[in-house]
Order: sequence, then structure tokens, then C-alpha cells
Amino acid sequence: MSRWARIGSTLFVLLLLLVALVPGWLAPGDPLAIDPAEAFQSPSPAHPMGTDESGRDVLTRVVHGARDSLVIGIAATALGMGVAIVLGTAAALSPRWLDAGILRLLEALYAIPSLLMALLIIAFTGPGVGPAIVAVGLSTAPGYARLVRSQIRTLRHSEMLQAATVLGRGTLLRVRNHLVPNALRPLLALITLGVGQAVIWASALSFLGLGTPPPAPEWGAMLAAGRTYLHLAWWMSLFPGLAIVVVAAGATMIGRALGGKVNAA
Amino acid sequence: MGTLRWAAGRVGGALVVLWLVATAIFIGVRLIPGDPAEAIMGGPGSQASAEALAAARADYGLDEPLRVQYLMFLGKLLRLDFGTSYALRDPVLGIMGQVLPQTIVLSLLALLLAWVLALVFAAASLRATRVGAVLGNAVEIIAAAVPHFWLGAVLIMVFSSTLGWLPAVDNGTGAGLVLPVLTLALPLAGFLTQLMRDSLSTALASPFSLAARARGDSRLQVFWRHGLRHAALPALGMTGWAFSSLLSGAVVVEAVFARPGLGRALLSAVLSRDIPMVTGIALFSAAIYMVVMALTEGIERALHPAGVDS
Amino acid sequence: MQRTIRTRRLVTGTVALPLAAALLAGCSASAPGEQAQDTAPVIGGTLVYASGDAEPTCLDPHVGGNYPQALVASQYLESLFTKDAAGQIVPWLAESTELSEDGLTRTITLRDGITFHDGSKLTSEAIKANIEHLQNPDTKSSTGYLAVGKVLQVEPVDELTAELQLSAPDNALLESLSMPWSAIQSPDALKRGQAVNCEAPVGTGPFKVESWQHQQAVNLVRYEDYVLPAQDAGRERDTAYLDGITWRFIPEAATRYAALQSGEVHVIDNAQPDTIASAEGAGLGHLDAPRPGASNRIELNSSKAPFDDAAVREAFIRSLDVNAGIDSLFFGTAPRSYSLLSSVEPLGIAQEQLFSPDAAKAAQLLDDAGWGERDAEGYRVKDGQRLSLDFPVSTNQSVPAEQSLFEQIQASAKEAGFEVRIQLLDLSSWYGALAEHKYNMVSAPYTKVGPSVLQVIFHSDSTTPAPSGYFANNAQVTDDELDDLLTRAGQTNDAAEREQLYAQAQRIVLEGHYVLPLYDQQNHFLYGKDVAGMGATTAVSSPIYYDVFLTN
Repeated sequence: MSRWARIGSTLFVLLLLLVALVPGWLAPGDPLAIDPAEAFQSPSPAHPMGTDESGRDVLTRVVHGARDSLVIGIAATALGMGVAIVLGTAAALSPRWLDAGILRLLEALYAIPSLLMALLIIAFTGPGVGPAIVAVGLSTAPGYARLVRSQIRTLRHSEMLQAATVLGRGTLLRVRNHLVPNALRPLLALITLGVGQAVIWASALSFLGLGTPPPAPEWGAMLAAGRTYLHLAWWMSLFPGLAIVVVAAGATMIGRALGGKVNAA
Repeated sequence: MGTLRWAAGRVGGALVVLWLVATAIFIGVRLIPGDPAEAIMGGPGSQASAEALAAARADYGLDEPLRVQYLMFLGKLLRLDFGTSYALRDPVLGIMGQVLPQTIVLSLLALLLAWVLALVFAAASLRATRVGAVLGNAVEIIAAAVPHFWLGAVLIMVFSSTLGWLPAVDNGTGAGLVLPVLTLALPLAGFLTQLMRDSLSTALASPFSLAARARGDSRLQVFWRHGLRHAALPALGMTGWAFSSLLSGAVVVEAVFARPGLGRALLSAVLSRDIPMVTGIALFSAAIYMVVMALTEGIERALHPAGVDS
Repeated sequence: MQRTIRTRRLVTGTVALPLAAALLAGCSASAPGEQAQDTAPVIGGTLVYASGDAEPTCLDPHVGGNYPQALVASQYLESLFTKDAAGQIVPWLAESTELSEDGLTRTITLRDGITFHDGSKLTSEAIKANIEHLQNPDTKSSTGYLAVGKVLQVEPVDELTAELQLSAPDNALLESLSMPWSAIQSPDALKRGQAVNCEAPVGTGPFKVESWQHQQAVNLVRYEDYVLPAQDAGRERDTAYLDGITWRFIPEAATRYAALQSGEVHVIDNAQPDTIASAEGAGLGHLDAPRPGASNRIELNSSKAPFDDAAVREAFIRSLDVNAGIDSLFFGTAPRSYSLLSSVEPLGIAQEQLFSPDAAKAAQLLDDAGWGERDAEGYRVKDGQRLSLDFPVSTNQSVPAEQSLFEQIQASAKEAGFEVRIQLLDLSSWYGALAEHKYNMVSAPYTKVGPSVLQVIFHSDSTTPAPSGYFANNAQVTDDELDDLLTRAGQTNDAAEREQLYAQAQRIVLEGHYVLPLYDQQNHFLYGKDVAGMGATTAVSSPIYYDVFLTN
């Protein structure tokens, strides 16, 4: 990881956190305040990103939307990772038959494409943010779980672990002190990649009308609402779209810098 | 003998996976609060008639113990009886026969285009200047991060509304496929390019390639003779994943471009709580995935017999 | 470039001469090239139609009975009566009709020589079979079922004449029988069973259903033995000009419009307000055909708190200023309504002063009703309960502009202390929410010909569900005086009395603050430069493509 990439990605993460935690600091306005007389204003000094169909300031909404969008992305990834760590660790440390069973289970989860899985879950639960998070999380879990499993299997035979065994530590302790942290490092790269993808899938659900309900300033929902007015007010979809692209692309760059491969997300 | 065993293992594995998916759906339907017959017939909003509910109850054996219901459910699936879509009033199997080819053609074309684009970009990056490399890197990362529905909307606005070069929806000539395929392929191409470039640079730095270079072959010649194969293999291994992500993307693309297909069928089945249809689509998409995985593994075995492990 | 809309053309006139004179208020079609209108009709070609509605689950509009079904069924099914350009109900498949002295027997005589697509002849048996089909609970009809609710039985008198025995006088019966939801289908075809009939209903219209490829298109082809029920000297042939219609479903508004711009489709419905303005600039045609019946309105559920209190309903309405939002979101395509009825209904009354925004009055009303306290988020509370309103919105029935308007209502109501909880739902869940009474306010379109729609949506009887499960009185108005007025208005034989009784009934509902009218039910169609002859519609404003031809 080059020095500049490290500085750049650190700054990027800090800025995102800042925006998500104290949006009012950057955009003091109310993201829900309507003003029909100001609808569809193109970008200007007063509204640097223009206004939407209800005269709401797009910049304010993009900034305030960071929290909702990131929470969905992070929560989904965290859920997927949680499931993955349990299943992946269990598989790696289990006898052969159980390992094979868990692998089949993962394959079953993996066999259903992410968005189809999300729709399947929504078919049973109905739409909403919660189901969207669960859906995106579960659909990404098998990818993570496979990596966890292979990481742990590699480490299991590594010198460090053998050293630990020689020293007579208990199995649980071995798992906690060595296996999990060592498996986690490459996972960290994957997680950052995953957050970006989760934000994109969540936005697709919003587009299908199954994600965050209006008028919350979630990026996917804003992008979905703005696409109706694409030829009239391009700024309504461009800026939330850019926000998604920047986060997903930023996450990819950080993930790659951490040594991740693009393939497992 | 090895191939036969491999094939048998593949088929067996696929059946286990399908059984797991079916079981998950069986449990899912029973977890929906309220009357399962009503859930199967579209939930409380569908206002199913008493006869329709009775028919569903008999069809799915809902008055029997859970164990019997489960066996009946699996038995029907084994006989390829997926039931009748209550919203479309057609057998699910027949609807699948109509929509599946559409989605598969769309996805295969997108896969092909993504591969071609990725190869071209990866090869071009070998000759790129430093600025060009940074720029190319940025383009592929951005391409991979663009939501399909927005890309589709922008492509329609530019190529259909404004320039009038390409149709926004199918007009029977095949030209209607261009924009959907492009929308589906571009993000995937972004991913594949990243992947290929990584493995290409590793391959071209290998002693093998360096020796070829020392013999006087040009970079491009080395790429075609040695690099390509090394670049393609890991990407080929990703085909199952790529196809699966294309099927996800197809849900959105079919909605944007009003194309019939698996994705649109699933979306409308979800919106109308058409459980027989949802079940059928889940099993079929899982089956497609298993087939694609088996095919890519087969190709990998053919290309690289020694290198295949679990 | 404005030209009046024609409903079924009954008087003579060539296609080249748009019927002027009697016009329905607000209906207008601006044709892209008037020259095209002057050329002789071109025979042949398949028109591609792109609908933004969800694909119907059944092509027989007797089943359920919603507007998307009416749009497509208007091409292959015809009704006994229709509405002429002057807004009068006139016979169509029927030739004449008579009412007995006591108003309890309606005799209908059919035109001779009309055949169904299956070759069978239109006879009085068809009237009986169709009304019985609508009344059969298994059909699960809601719109058509209500339309023929007063018919006790149908007795064919001779081959072409039938007598309808009514349970009570019904002066709206002919209006009811002019709608596609009570259109006449071949009795033989109805016997095939619902599953088959839904796929390809058999009627007498100028087109017939050839095939329905689910999720792709309904293919309609010209009915070669079509007989135009009314005389039209301007036509050299009775059959339609088009070879057929490909009826597609393109849910994405932007894609639909792009497909029209680039010429893959000829006509689109559910045109978005912002594209209507630009379409007219781009030389595309625009047909504005507001639906009859009710206006598009938000109904306040008076059967449960907090809207069981009339003062809270008034406070809610007074706290909103929707005009600015309608102007900016609809680009002048949807004039504000202050009436319960559509602008095409002559008996509608408007009371603008009841809807003028008055924040001070709203606050006073809420304070007096016990909602004086506010919680930390600024919402009013009473006995620990927040002033919350559930607002299920059907994404199938509300265009994006309308959804945005509802968001604006949510934001304005918040300032007055109301918490409006919008839930965007698919149609099935939306019906479910209504059936389970999980709503405080709702916008539910209701199209019907004539003022008797008031009876459907405000009579207390309509709080009990139809066989389809749908009940139309979403405001849950139960008022004996109103019921009495509506019943009498529906039975009287005196036109002046009818008008006066309906006016009284409307005043009760308007002054009771049960409803916030917004605008007419929007029904905008855009069509390409090569489409000529647009304008004719059924009684429910659904266009008919009988006169339409493609100029290239």
C-alpha cells in the first residue's frame, strides 16, 4: 500500500465518518424541508447540487443520507460476516462430514444470486429496511464464509498454531488468540469491498420500491426518485449516484490496498 | 473414471443443494404468520376465494401433519410439479420455459461482452502510460461501482431519447438487446478487468514470460501466447460468481428495459406474493448456478487437469 | 392545436373532421400533425401500445374490475350503452330501452346482426348470461358487481329483447351498463370457465384477443366481421383500420417515454406530467381524458381515532397547502379540484372555501380537541398518544408525482403536529391494509360513469366488502341523512330532483371534511407523429383505437 493511498484512504474514511456522524456540520439545513416554489432548481450557489421535485436541497439530502446508506451497507456486511465467521469457523474445525455438510449449505446460499435472495426474503417478510439488510447480509455471507474457512484451514497447519499447540494451550484459547485474528486480516479487505457492494444492492432494492421508504434521504431512494426526472433534472440523480459510486469505489480501493481481491464479494 | 466420479459428485452435490433450498422455502412459507393456504394464494390482500383456499389446502396437504406436508412438497418437486402460479394461472414450469431462455440469453451475451471488454482493457493496460494506467484503474473501479438501474437510465437517455441510435425496448430486431446487455456487462467488465490485470501482471512477471521476452518476443506476443491463459484462468474460475451477479443484475435490467425474464417474473411474483412462482424461480436459479459451476469446472479440468482441487 | 375529444362517434363525420360542438369539459387531444388528420385513413399496420400499469391478472374486466383492464378491454369488448360527445348516455349494442312506470322493469332491445368473435350471434341471452356472470360471487367482480347490484333477474322476452327486474328504481343503470366492467361477452365463452376466459375474453369489439404472452404482450387483431353498432356515414368500412394492436407493459416511466420518442411504440399511457410538456414541444400528440366518477382525493377514515373527530379532520385539511405542490409537480396538467366528482361530471359541486389553508384555525381546532401538547419531535399528543396517521400508498395507482405530493403533505402536516406515516405498498399489500382497516387516510381512485359514484363511495352500505373483498367507502362515512339522500337521488325519475339531491349529499360530505379533493383522475396519453385518428373514448374515457391509423 503506497503512502499516498494510505493517506488518501484514511482521509476518505474520516470524511465519511464525519459526514455520517455530524451531517449538520456540513449541511445545516433540514433534509426534509420542502419548498414547492423552489422545485427542480438547477445547481446554483444557493443550492450547489440543485433541488428536487419538492424543492428540497439535494446537497443537504446527500450529506444527511450518508448515515442511512452507510448504516445499511455496514449492517448488512456485519450480518453477513457474523454468519460467515460462525459457519466458516465451524466448517474449518469440524470433522470431514460436518465440513462437507456446511459447505453444501454455503453452496445452497451461494446458488441463489444476491438480489434474487433479497427478493425471496422480501416475499416472506414484506419490504422495508430491515428485510433489505437481512437479505443483502445473508446473500453475501457464503462468499465470506468460504474465505474464513480456507483461511482457518491454512492457519490450522501453520507454524504459529503448531507452536501454540506445543505450548499446550487449550483448543478454545487457540481459536481465540490465533485462528480468528489471523483469519480476520484478509477478511478486513473483503469487508471494505463488501460494504460498497451492499450499498449498491440496497440501492437496487430502493429502485424496485422495496427498500428505504420516502422521504428519508437514503441515496438509493434518492437515486430511484431522481431517475424519473432524468431528462428534466439530471442533478437529482447524478449526485446521490455519485455518492454511491464514490463510496463503493473508495471501499474497493481501500480493500485492494489492504490486499483484497475483488472476487469474493 | 475420474471424470465420471467427478460428474457423479457434481450431480449429487447439486441435488443436495436443491434439497436445501427447497427445505428453506418450505420453512419460510410456514413461518409467514396466518393461514399457510392464504399465504400460498397471495396473502390477505389477494382475497382468495374459499374454493381456491380449499384447493390450495388439498394441493399442499395443509391439513396433514407437517412431516407429511414436507414429504408431499418434496415429492411434487421430484416429479417436476411446481404447481400453478396463482397470479398468472399457468403452471410454473411452463412460465419458466418462457422466461428462462430470455434471461439466459441476456446474461450470456452480457458475460461474453464483459469478457471481451475485460480482455481488451487488460491487454491495453500493458501498454498504457502511467497516467493512462491510473485513469484506466479509475474507470474500471467506477464501472464496477455504478448501480445497474442508473446506468440503464442514463444509457436510455443518451442513446435512445437524445441520439435516437438504439431502441429503449425490444422492437423485434435484436437491436433492443444492445442497451440491456451493455447495462449488465459494464459493471461486470469493471470487476473482471481488475481481476485479469492482477493475474496478468503476475503472469508476465513470471520466469516463463521473461524468458520469452528475452527471446525477443514483443510484450503483446507474450501476452497472447502466455499471459492470456494465465489471466483467463482465474477469471474463468469466477464465471459461476459472475453469472450469479448477472442474474441479480438481470432483475433490475429487466425492470428498466421492460424485458420479460426470470428477474421480472420474480419481481412480480414477490409483489403479488405468488409463492408457487417464487419457489419455482428459487429452485431454477439455483439449478442454473449449479449447471454453470459444473460447466466452468469442466472447462477448467480440460484446460488444467492437474490444478483442480475442491 | 387543441381539438375536442370524441366519445363514441354516433353522428356522421369523416375521420378527417374532428367532431366539434358538444365537448366534455377538460378533455382535449392535441394532434401532432393536423395534416395527418386530413389524409385518407391508411389500412394496415400494427400499433404498439405501451402501458405503465401493472399487467392485469385477467383480461376479463368482469373479474375484479380496474382501470388497466378497462383500457385494454375497450378494444375487444363493447357495452350495451355508451356516452356521446354531449355527455348523454345513448344505446350502443342496445338499440333502444324503456322503463316501466314503477321504475322496476327495464326493457332493453339489442341491435340485430351483431356477432361475437366466436361467431355466435348477440342475443338477449347474452344480457342474462353477463349480468349473472357479474353477480356470481365466484367471478369476484367488484366494479361490475356494484354496477348491476339492483338487478334482481333478467328475462329474455324474445331473441333481441330482455327485461331486467330491479329491486328498486335505479336511474344510474344505463350509466352503469355503459362501462367496460359490465361489457357484454359471448355466453358460450363465459361457460369456458374463468381460467380460460381470463386469457382471451370473447366480445363484439373491433379487435379480438389473439394471444396473451404473459409478462410480454397482449396481441389483438382486427375482427374482420365487425359491425359498427351506430351508423357512421364517414366510414367506408366497418372494420378497424389497424391490422392489430400489440399491448405491452413497460412499467418504467422514463423507458416508456424513451420508447415513444425513438418510435418503438406508438402510444403510451400514464404519461408523466413533466414529459407531457416536453412531448408537446417535440411534436408528439397528447390526449387528456380525465376519468369520470370520483375526483382523485384523499379520504380520511372517520371510523377510528383521530379522524373520528370532525374537528381533527378539518384541522388536517386546513393545515395543508397542496396547490403549490400540485402546480410544481404536475406542470399545469392537473388543475386543482374542490369537488368530490370528476370535472366531466356535470352534477359535481365545488366548495373551494372549505379547503383554504388556515394554519391558525387548524391549531385552534386541534387545541380545542385536546391535542394541545407536543412531544419532543414536535408532534401533537393526547393522553400519551401521538397524533399519527397511517397512509398506505399503492405504488401501482399513484404516479411518482403523486407520491411526491404525498411526501409534501407529510412535511406540511408535520408542522401542524401530525405525524403522517406513508407506507409505499404493492397493490396486494395495499388492498390488504385497507381490508384490515390499517389506515387513517388513503387515496383510492374510483371510476364510474355518472354521479351515482357518490352512492358507491359514501353510502354506508359500501363499508361492507364486495365479493372481491374491496369496499369503496374508504372514508367510512355512515350518516343516515346522507344514505337517505343518496338512495332517493338514485331512484328518482326527475332529473332536476336528482341534481338537487346529489348536491345536498355532496355538501354533507364536503362540509363533514371527510375528503381532501386533489385533481381529476389523471388519464394522459402521448402518441407518435405517425398516429392519426386518436380521440374516441368509451364512457369511462378509455381510448378506442377503432378510428386510429398509422400514417406510414
